Amino acid sequence: MSNPSDTFAQEAEELLQSLEQSLLELEGAPGNATLVDAVFRALHTLKGSGDMFGFSALARFTHHFETAFDQVREGRARVSHELIAVALASRDHLAALLALGAEAVADAGIAAEGHALLARLNAVVEEQPAGAANVEARATRTWHIRFRPATNALRNGFRPDLLLAELAELGRLDWSCSDELVPAIEDLDASDCWLVWEMTLETSGSREAIDDVFLFLQDGEIDITAADEAPAEAETGDEPVTADKVEPQLETSAGPAAPKSDSVRVQSHRLDELMDQLGELVIAQARLRRISDELGDTTLGETAEEIERLVTGLRDATLSIRMLPISLVFGKFRRVVRDLSEELGKPAQLVTEGDETEVDKNVIDSLTEPLVHLIRNAIDHGIETPETRAAAGKPAAARVTLRARQAGGEVLISVTDNGGGLDADAIRRRAIERKLIAATDDLSEEALYQLIFEPGFSTAKALSSVSGRGVGMDAVRRVIEDLRGTVEVRSRTGIGTEVTLRLPLTLAIIDGLLVRVGEGSFVLPLASVEECVELPEDEEARQSGRSILRIRDQLVPFVALDTQFGFPPSDRKRRRVAIVSVEGRRVGLVVDDVLGQHQTVVKPLSAYHRGIEGLAGGTILGDGSVALILEVATLVRRAQSAPRIAA
Amino acid sequence: MSDLSNTPQTALTFVLDGETFGVDVARVEEIVDPLPMTRAPNADPFAPALVNVRGSIVPVVDLRHRLGMAAAEQRPSSRLLVLNVLVDGEPTRVALMADDVDAIVETTAAEIEAVPELGLRWPAKYFRGVARKNGVLVILLDEQTTFPPQAA
Repeated sequence: MSNPSDTFAQEAEELLQSLEQSLLELEGAPGNATLVDAVFRALHTLKGSGDMFGFSALARFTHHFETAFDQVREGRARVSHELIAVALASRDHLAALLALGAEAVADAGIAAEGHALLARLNAVVEEQPAGAANVEARATRTWHIRFRPATNALRNGFRPDLLLAELAELGRLDWSCSDELVPAIEDLDASDCWLVWEMTLETSGSREAIDDVFLFLQDGEIDITAADEAPAEAETGDEPVTADKVEPQLETSAGPAAPKSDSVRVQSHRLDELMDQLGELVIAQARLRRISDELGDTTLGETAEEIERLVTGLRDATLSIRMLPISLVFGKFRRVVRDLSEELGKPAQLVTEGDETEVDKNVIDSLTEPLVHLIRNAIDHGIETPETRAAAGKPAAARVTLRARQAGGEVLISVTDNGGGLDADAIRRRAIERKLIAATDDLSEEALYQLIFEPGFSTAKALSSVSGRGVGMDAVRRVIEDLRGTVEVRSRTGIGTEVTLRLPLTLAIIDGLLVRVGEGSFVLPLASVEECVELPEDEEARQSGRSILRIRDQLVPFVALDTQFGFPPSDRKRRRVAIVSVEGRRVGLVVDDVLGQHQTVVKPLSAYHRGIEGLAGGTILGDGSVALILEVATLVRRAQSAPRIAA
Repeated sequence: MSDLSNTPQTALTFVLDGETFGVDVARVEEIVDPLPMTRAPNADPFAPALVNVRGSIVPVVDLRHRLGMAAAEQRPSSRLLVLNVLVDGEPTRVALMADDVDAIVETTAAEIEAVPELGLRWPAKYFRGVARKNGVLVILLDEQTTFPPQAA
């Protein structure tokens, strides 16, 4: 992190994100003073540090933005839909200014946009007098502030005049300055600051507002206490020393701003490097274990086992560093939903659940796009027009729910809408038209729903008119499958649609089940394997015909991997079947042998093999040989579509 | 074929089906003894398998297939040439199967002749030219056209 303006840019992005969040929440709770303060604080910090790092256009715009919002904080303007709209647009403008970089000069277009926004902002603020005090009315309170700047404050650019002016903006300010700490002239370094200010501030602003003024002066001594609220006593409260003694700290919760967090920032490529190293370590450890097994030496065996335990611990710890809460992605979607529902004239509300669910950083990075697709689809195609909803007796405002949870080794993320549901007949017609299925094919509803993910299913326009979906659904499935996940759809006519993404917790190292097919070893992601059974010989005998296995009264279709892989047919007796779960259904994969669990370091494949359906990557086993990692969902899909092509 | 420069070019020569081929020595990372191969199911026969070269997974390429030669058994002189080439614009390490590795030869532009369209059994587009060295005809591979996954 050598470049300070990069650091600022990163911080500013976070500030802009929390600003957006607060604005959106404020729209739902216009009277919430805490949210108004949060908006104000974000703007204030942005202004201060923006100036410091040379983002002066950004700082200037923020200043005006802040001034306008001050009207809201003071209760002189009220929070309206229009105000939030302008404020959000202003936030986007700030993001644009930030993207220009430090010391950049905004071009005429951007500058004009800024002026227009500020004009709108001021107009909105002025034309909407608070009237019935929309923001919780605050009584005027009197605060005593004793401030002794750090000795080096003046050298760091502290300007007492600006501080006092800023405080005076909050209300009526009386102040005095004491020089009693100043050392004798012969000991005095003229650039040191020894002065102490005693201030009395009468303001309707909050304690946070005062703290904000001191935001960048935290290394000094700051003592803020509330005087008695009775104005009469406030007059006598001019004597600060007594006031300090009389008034205990009234507000304990609001400590000085800028809460200290015990976390560190790490560049993500360092985490990736750590992960690579760990991957090599896991492979080396597998080799060690194999050698130790071969030698059969007890001491070596114990050491190898201990190393294995340590490596597993290290793996879990490293993986946990890479885990981030899904709220990082979810947070972005409030805005998407708001803008879309505005644009399409379909009132919709976003509800999120399981925001704290943790997902691997690399997974998070790839999730935004597919989720935007799904949410767009939900609002555009899933949710009915207000008229249709009214006719169906549904509440006017539709709901889109984003839900995340962990289950087993997977993360489940679902996008649910309470719209009209998928139209199975329309999908069927469309699929026949696109030659994805034959007119005579008898497919279950579930199988029909899966068709919306087929490439070429949708060409957008024609589809919206039949209320189907599928804009970019094949793209969604591709991204999710690249992450070694799967997509499931459930829908009920008139009730709504739910799309669920199942993703592995991490991409770098997975727990796998090692199996043998022909000469080769393959890894099945353990998370997708439900059980392993023996393939009954009579089933084998008639394998050429029906491929269905009866397991505890349940019929499970199965595919033989040797056939799938184009390998010579296995002559092995007593083969095994790994039962995997694909899109909610159980399917058996016939393998020659099940070799056991394997901690698998996933390595990407080259351009030659990446495109092969059913392969997710490669890994190196303890004996140095290469094993391929199978992607169960595509493998099964490929197997099931094969007979149709042949027919 | 048209962009031949005058700087001498160093090539590593190897043998396939009795013919001598040359590959730009700057592309060659190492030459290794045959390694256990993992067959990739449903793969392009040009890249039928994978090997572990010092901890990385490297695709094996079978030039015999691309040039329409018959498949051959491994022999004692067989080697894998680990090359660094661009595949679909991506720097990729590949392990090229060779019947034998011969020598390092220097060729100058003057020595390199265009590939006669009818003189070879194979499509001329895979080669930059031919050069006669020590009485042997060396066919110089064009790495740009030889290695893409789908034969052009």
